[in-house]
Amino acid sequence: MQAANDLDSKLILVCCGTGCLANGSREVYQSLKKQLTDSEVTVSTFTKPTGCNGWCEKGPLVKIMPDDITYCQVKASDVPAIVEKTIQNGELLERLLYRDPQTKKRVKSHHQIDFYKKQHKLALRNIGEIDPASIDDYIARDGYKALAKALRKMTPSEVVEEVIASGLRGRGGGGFPTGIKWRAAAGQPAQPKYVICNGDEGDPGAFMDRSIMEGDPHTVIEGMIICAYAIGATRGFIYVRDEYSLAVTNLGIAIDSARRHGYLGNNILGSQLCFDIEIVRGGGAFVCGEETALMASIEGNVGEPRDKYVFPTEKGLWGQPTVINNVETWANIPVIIQDGAEQFAALGTAGSKGTKVFSLVGKVVNTGLVEVPMGTTLRDIIFTIGGGIPGGRGFKAVQTGGPSGGCIPESKLDLQVDFDSLLEAGSMMGSGGIIVMDDRTCMVEIARYYVHFLAGESCGKCTPCREGIKALLDTLTAICHGQGREEDLLYLEEISHTMQDASLCALGRTAANPVLSTLRYFKDEYLAHIREHCCPAGICRELTEFEIDPATCTGCGLCTKNCPVDAISGEKKQAHIIDQNKCIRCGECIDHCRFNAVLVR
Amino acid sequence: MRIIIDEKPVEVEPGITILEAARQNGIDIPTLCYHEAFGGQGMCRMCMVEVKNGTSSRLVASCTYPISEEIEVRTSTPAIARIRRNIIGLLYRRAPNSEFMRQWYEKYEQPQSRLSPDVEESCILCRLCVKACEEMGSSAIAAVFRGTEKRIGTPYDDAATACIGCGACAQICPTGAIAMTESEDRRTIWNREFALVRCQKCGRPVGTGEQLEYIASKGGSALESGLCQVCRKKQAAVRVSEFYR
Repeated sequence: MQAANDLDSKLILVCCGTGCLANGSREVYQSLKKQLTDSEVTVSTFTKPTGCNGWCEKGPLVKIMPDDITYCQVKASDVPAIVEKTIQNGELLERLLYRDPQTKKRVKSHHQIDFYKKQHKLALRNIGEIDPASIDDYIARDGYKALAKALRKMTPSEVVEEVIASGLRGRGGGGFPTGIKWRAAAGQPAQPKYVICNGDEGDPGAFMDRSIMEGDPHTVIEGMIICAYAIGATRGFIYVRDEYSLAVTNLGIAIDSARRHGYLGNNILGSQLCFDIEIVRGGGAFVCGEETALMASIEGNVGEPRDKYVFPTEKGLWGQPTVINNVETWANIPVIIQDGAEQFAALGTAGSKGTKVFSLVGKVVNTGLVEVPMGTTLRDIIFTIGGGIPGGRGFKAVQTGGPSGGCIPESKLDLQVDFDSLLEAGSMMGSGGIIVMDDRTCMVEIARYYVHFLAGESCGKCTPCREGIKALLDTLTAICHGQGREEDLLYLEEISHTMQDASLCALGRTAANPVLSTLRYFKDEYLAHIREHCCPAGICRELTEFEIDPATCTGCGLCTKNCPVDAISGEKKQAHIIDQNKCIRCGECIDHCRFNAVLVR
Repeated sequence: MRIIIDEKPVEVEPGITILEAARQNGIDIPTLCYHEAFGGQGMCRMCMVEVKNGTSSRLVASCTYPISEEIEVRTSTPAIARIRRNIIGLLYRRAPNSEFMRQWYEKYEQPQSRLSPDVEESCILCRLCVKACEEMGSSAIAAVFRGTEKRIGTPYDDAATACIGCGACAQICPTGAIAMTESEDRRTIWNREFALVRCQKCGRPVGTGEQLEYIASKGGSALESGLCQVCRKKQAAVRVSEFYR
């Protein structure tokens, strides 16, 4: 932040989010620090590690300010050139700039890229711009101003009313209006009251909460303190998935520095408010993302949900009034208080206000983390921001909402994404996972995959979820193995409906979504498995035979090279042939063929 | 407080569950995991009922739903019948070895999934055994693992050190899924053998040594008299009659 005020010095931001770290950004950061100290650079510089910039596909990212240069896929070996050319002499390193796939031109700044242009960052506003370990960086970007405003200029009920007016709905999946939840807890006479941050993100492919906790921990803490003031709570807990060690570290540093600055502890900012936060590490159970299971886990019990006929706002943690919100929900609170509910509510759709962070993964060019206003279409997210499907393949479906979400077909790509539209389409918002699937995806196998995930992650307490999942899994497996019958589809639907109606918690009530949504949109694929003993995508091995179309095959030999069992033969520039006796149906040939000459029979 | 169950107005104590209210008024709601000694567990979901509150209606588990408002309850609708039929179907699929489940299954006439697993299981995971053990004060067994792997067991499946061999779990189990065997002087349960103490008078088993010790530690006198319940009663009767003679 200091550098931003000093025109002569450069601020170098190295993305140290999860994806970039895995690609060696820590080495890039350390190497930059070292070389900038050792070499005789005359320019004054500040180098900072930041949280996730979201553009994970092109990481590690290095941003140089105030020049607004973004270097992609930077390796430690690139550092000397960056220091010598760009930092010292102000020259651009063309080879490290992003190359636009359409115009084929190099782009200097990430601000000029479609991936970022359509985004609107509220919850992620600081991530990538600040050092998460520095409270000064957070304060420099208006951090803790919302807290000061709430404490000095607003009554607790005014804070609650502001959150209600913003229309903010819980970002963890349920979509319950946050302000209404707060008001319910504020109205409870019982003391003590608790505030909980649900950071037990567990959906496969989802990492939005992780990125916020790692990249901007103070925003979560500030949101929680504001809630504590609004409802009269004294203790807070951040429940973090155990695998997220960097999140635990950064949150720990943030809590310590917030205490030292008087944002946590007794008489916060000289007010009557006394509130402190502790971190609880989850035990690795997906179901603990369900709020009653999470509270059972904090209490030291087995993480199993309970019926919520009495809401946690009345009887939550240890039977006391409790507000529990998701990480991203908390990150929005300081924005709402600081900028006002009206500004927040101006974004989004009628029923869903503000923005939503999505983790965009699967068969999409720009995998990463994106934040868009509610109501953005799936097509914009996947094709404009995401850059479409890689490898020239066709789009098949998009799965939203985690393992209990549904699969949405191409015909629904213009759906404006919000809480209600996704439910209507048979899927759900969930916590914001978006998994893109191409035409090499078998929808029956996808349903089986998610049900299999839930078979291991259901808590196993209630009958419909535990036994229903087992029955669905057995039936789907039979269909994938070519032993399905048409009556099985009725059985799948029947059991799914009972799971929706009778399961104890939301995990069970939504566990059949992958099955029901694929049955709704891709029934012909189920029928192909059953009637024709064929898997149209060529995934289910028992039902697949690959053959090479002699008319299309150019004899390039790429399939032969990639076949792991030497099942393909043919002369150069002549059509090739697959030996069905040797073929193990792995699909390497079809995935590598550039001429669509490999067909599924 | 007045609520309506199956179109019948009934007077209930606020805070009790719908299931309790229904049973107090002679309305039967089927349950598998409920026992009046422990209250509702909300696990089997057989007791689902429809609750109407104003204009909104929803399906809830009657054993855990506390009555706080003037609601209207329906205990049998086609939707509820469908849920119960499927739950029985699923549990029979899980525990085909259980005579108890077979009887339920016949009552509900649910066609079985053709892909039923070939298992010799009779436990339906109602957890009444776990509750009974907890109430006894031992907590020797628990529901272990997650998801479809969930089952009842001792810690690490070892011989249960906390078990006193009282057999309350086996006694309460509706499906006879807990193996408890007795020989002349031993009782075997949860991978552990216990010495059986017999009544000094009639020879009937009184309990295990550990169990009698536990009862004595709680202020009972089972160990001192060395008699079974029946003989103790007889002895007391003789004493009383001698006193008045």
